[in-house]
Amino acid sequence: MKLRKVLALSLAAAMTLSLVACGGSSDNTESADTTTETADTTTEETTDTQEETTDTAEAETPEGVPSYSQIAVGTDYTDLTASIKWIHHKTDREEDGTIAAMIAEFNKVYPNITVETEGVTDYAEDALLRLSTGDWGDIMFIPAVDKADLSTYFYPIDTLANLDAEINFANIWEYDGLSYGVPYMANAQGVLYNKAVFEAAGITELPTTPTEFLADLQLIKDNTDAIPLYTNYAAGWTMGAWDAYIGIVSNGDDTYMNQKLVHTASPFEDPGDDTGIYNLYRILYDAVANGLIEEDYTTTDWEGCKGMLNNGEIGTMVLGSWAYAQMVEAGDHGEDVGYMPFPMTVGGTQYALAGGDYSYGININSSDENKTAAMVFIKWMTEESGWCYNEGGYTVDKDGQNPDLYAAFDGSTVLSDQPALDGEADFLNQMNSESELSFNAGGNAKVQRIVEAGATGSESFDDIMADWTAKWNAAQEELGIEVLY
Amino acid sequence: MAMTQAARPKKKRTFGEWAKSRDGQKVFVMIAFMVIPLVLLFTFTYLPFAEMFGFSFYDMKYVGTRKFVGLKNYMKVFQRDDCFGALKLSLYYMVGSVVQLALALYLATILSFKVKGGSVFKGFMFFPYLINGIAIGFIFKFFYTRGFVFDTVLQWCGFQLDNLPYWLKDQRINNISLVGTSVWRYFGQNMVLFIGAIMSVDSELYEAAMLDGANRFQQFKYIILPSIKTIITLNVILSITGSLSAFEPPYVITDGANGTGTYFVVMHEIAHTQQKVGLASAMAIVLLIIILAVTILQKLFFKYVFKNAEDEDKNAAVKREKKLAKIAARKAGR
Repeated sequence: MKLRKVLALSLAAAMTLSLVACGGSSDNTESADTTTETADTTTEETTDTQEETTDTAEAETPEGVPSYSQIAVGTDYTDLTASIKWIHHKTDREEDGTIAAMIAEFNKVYPNITVETEGVTDYAEDALLRLSTGDWGDIMFIPAVDKADLSTYFYPIDTLANLDAEINFANIWEYDGLSYGVPYMANAQGVLYNKAVFEAAGITELPTTPTEFLADLQLIKDNTDAIPLYTNYAAGWTMGAWDAYIGIVSNGDDTYMNQKLVHTASPFEDPGDDTGIYNLYRILYDAVANGLIEEDYTTTDWEGCKGMLNNGEIGTMVLGSWAYAQMVEAGDHGEDVGYMPFPMTVGGTQYALAGGDYSYGININSSDENKTAAMVFIKWMTEESGWCYNEGGYTVDKDGQNPDLYAAFDGSTVLSDQPALDGEADFLNQMNSESELSFNAGGNAKVQRIVEAGATGSESFDDIMADWTAKWNAAQEELGIEVLY
Repeated sequence: MAMTQAARPKKKRTFGEWAKSRDGQKVFVMIAFMVIPLVLLFTFTYLPFAEMFGFSFYDMKYVGTRKFVGLKNYMKVFQRDDCFGALKLSLYYMVGSVVQLALALYLATILSFKVKGGSVFKGFMFFPYLINGIAIGFIFKFFYTRGFVFDTVLQWCGFQLDNLPYWLKDQRINNISLVGTSVWRYFGQNMVLFIGAIMSVDSELYEAAMLDGANRFQQFKYIILPSIKTIITLNVILSITGSLSAFEPPYVITDGANGTGTYFVVMHEIAHTQQKVGLASAMAIVLLIIILAVTILQKLFFKYVFKNAEDEDKNAAVKREKKLAKIAARKAGR
């Protein structure tokens, strides 16, 4: 019984202790309150300066946070004091100090805005989790959320019309006329090639049609030891990357991908003029059938191929411009790596698709001065940091300069996809799922099938295209999507 | 519970008294111990399974609205050629599992007698089982790459590189290559189980047999084999069930491409890439039924082969297999 009493006493003691601990933590919250109070006083100051500089701000943004287009970088809000946190996926740039260097540069102009950063590995999934907790900081790269939910999580950057005047790709995260994100860089879709290999093969002009491209691949095979076209079959997603060319690149129509494709009766028909989805994938089939790809495609190695392209062991690879910087860094012959528009000419013009990468978004729950600081930071990053340029990205800022890698794009028309029509936003997703072709949505298996068929001769290219058409039409019927084109 | 019923008539007690008594405490302790595993089992096994069974009647994605479609998903499973076509690949894995068991049994028999360095061999052969399946996938991806490990070793043995096939590219042999990885991984584990069973055989039996003039093979046939029937049956059933639900080698090494997509890989593709969760759930249920049927057939077969081999409780074995089948099916539904 004595033991029991001792136990009871110690239990009671433990409980009182924990109570004390609770009291302690409540003290902490009090001190936190006082810090917010001091923060509030700074807000008053900043709002004062804000009224001086931007009177028009009041009309559209009632909360006192300026919109993107209202900020003049380098002159407004230079005395703003705030501490903001930014979570991003560029862990490599966090580690090599690029981001810290950019923030130091930013602090020369805005000395009182402290920017804390956190690089997140496995960003696509983790960011969604963090988003749902609400407590993630002030700026994040917007992960895959439904556009209808944007306003729940993010503060609008500006109206679409205003933002469109300032940057390219303003419509990526547009909902109800408001834009919620600014891409940190943009990618264009073309073809990676090795200049030295092209020279050794005797190719003097870049190919502009699938037929020319195939002829050039044959030249590489005949005249050099390089692999003409490296498919990266085994990695899977690298095969799905071919889907990026089915819209603007193969028909020059920026409404095709998100608006017309789902309503098209036979999108995989041969238009007969070396364009269209048919001829896009025919390049792959014919290249495989003629032995113009790597010998053993089932054991390709994504990490290894970067150095091979750099060293001239690979002639071409079909990937977005984001891959360019990696190929340049992968070996000693970075100057040999080139980027060209996709070899397809529609009505005399080569088209290129460009689209924004991850976009900065601002936490709707942040305090007003943090939102303001975040807005200033985003605009500074876009206009002044030079990050997009250094990454080899297609310029986001309308007045920005494009890196040299896009020199070959000079003659071609660069467009970005128009969003889907109202009420049809999820049509493409539904069609992708129902038909199981999954364009630009992980449909790697269907492209791998082309390689397998080309190599083994198990199916003819026309059979595959006919099968795709059958699946597409069955899905249209199943979902009741009207055939208009 | 039987205890309390037996105890009650003796003396009338209030519930409070009964609860304080030894009998009552016994019942409480029993319930308390049972509740935790049962709650865990229910929450993480039966509830998700029931959910998945429910999903199989809907046309649904992970997000968005669901539409009840009745048995349509099940009809699709039988109409699509990729679903049942993928089951043909299981034959490769079944043949592989027979090879694996024969090899394991052979090595177990040898190693259960005195062999120099026996423990080292056991260790080396059991080791692959301890490696993570994904890691094994990556190991073999490079192992089979043209001109890498496997080709190099074969060249040392005098083969010409030009005569060697492409282990993963050639559709005639790529499934055999994949089965090889799974045999390499699991035969050590089978072997250790067999050794354990063989160890339990009374060594005096061997001496007696030797005195009677029995050679090693006869000892194996008449002493070892009958003594470890139960464990053989169990291993065969587990291997065949595993063959039907092969996933890791094709998923990691070839991503199910190039004609190596097993039923599980197809199901994964349908559920996660195509987002047809209802159809994939129906596939999982169909697989569960197939596995149950195959297991029952095997039970009947072994009953016929070893007439009175089952000395343990038959119901227990059946229950355990059902559970294994369910676990397999649940993995499939994920």
